[in-house]
Amino acid sequence: MEQQVNPYRKMLTAAISAILLELGVDSADRDVLGSLTEMLQCFLSEIGSMSHNYCELSGRSEPVIADIILGFVEMGIDFSGLQQFVKNGKSVVLPSLQPQQPQKQMNMLQAGTKQPLPSHIPQHLPSFPDPHAYIRTPTHKQPVIDYEAIREKYAIQKKDMEKALTKFLCRTNPIHNLFDNEEANIFPLIACKPTFPPYLSALLPQDQIFDVEDLEYIAKDQDQAQPPRKRIKSECKVSDSKLPTDDEEEAQENVTKATEKENLNWDIDNPYLAATKLPVKGTE
Amino acid sequence: MDHLENSNEESENQAQTLGQPLSDFLLQLEDYTPTIPDAVTAYFLQTSGFEPKDPRLLRLISIAAQKFISDIANDALQHCKMRSSNASSSHSSSKGKGTKDRRYCLTMEDLTPALAEFGITIKKPHYYV
Repeated sequence: MEQQVNPYRKMLTAAISAILLELGVDSADRDVLGSLTEMLQCFLSEIGSMSHNYCELSGRSEPVIADIILGFVEMGIDFSGLQQFVKNGKSVVLPSLQPQQPQKQMNMLQAGTKQPLPSHIPQHLPSFPDPHAYIRTPTHKQPVIDYEAIREKYAIQKKDMEKALTKFLCRTNPIHNLFDNEEANIFPLIACKPTFPPYLSALLPQDQIFDVEDLEYIAKDQDQAQPPRKRIKSECKVSDSKLPTDDEEEAQENVTKATEKENLNWDIDNPYLAATKLPVKGTE
Repeated sequence: MDHLENSNEESENQAQTLGQPLSDFLLQLEDYTPTIPDAVTAYFLQTSGFEPKDPRLLRLISIAAQKFISDIANDALQHCKMRSSNASSSHSSSKGKGTKDRRYCLTMEDLTPALAEFGITIKKPHYYV
């Protein structure tokens, strides 16, 4: 209902509850209790101010019973029945002596030791909060940033990438088996498609791009063929999509051409094999 | 003017005459403990600037307040009883049971007419803040 209710009001409510119980009421609505509490509080305040006024009016600072009586009269309260009320009322029902409220000791979680105030701060100012409130502590491991480690990491990453790509190609492309038995192709080799001049791939620089202009040329040329990424690992994979020069195309058989066309379509379907867009001023 | 003063005096005289037994009564309050604790009464009196040194005065006020509430509550209880007896007679189904373990629950329905008899109009607020 109310967290921060005046304890005196609470006591008034308790007193009213006692009175009601004594009268034979078993229960009362919260509204009723609230109204009665309010009225009781008003009554007390009112009689207080009335008596106070009468007291001061007669030039006294210490109230006497006459002031209260006048207050009663002023408020129109019939006090003649009070004595009777006390006599026949078994109203000596004490509201249970208020048990000292067990002071709920909120256990503050103490984290770290509080820092003493520095000398330039007056001692009457509040002390610092727990250090965790203002001290920054890294919550993660600081990354290693020395050159060797980064190179090593880079190499490992590159190797992993190549391995993964090789594996992927083994799954998707035709492979050769190293051993003849069919059931266990433990060492799959990516099938190599012979090109007409077998040394051509060795002659064409594919691993590295030295010149931006060169890159543009290659990009234009390769657009449809294959992402250059793939060629990173060209050791084990003979480029299955050669750069088609006119001579080559003439020389190639129809069958291979057909398969290549198929390948091309398939390439485009597969997002992993689609041509990547090279940045215009790529610096790899 | 004269008349007014006279009436004033009269009322004061009346108060005195009525107050006389009250001052005697005050002497009995030495060992009496009203339902409203002294400290609570003292607190509310203090909020209006009234600080009696004599605890008997406090008790007198406490008793007056207690009687005030008690009268109202008693009236409300009568209303409640009347209402429930009416309800039970109109139902007339479980009369024996109703008289036995009838539980009185004071509601605003009972309190409002009781207060109206005392000249206090009470209204339900439109909503709670």
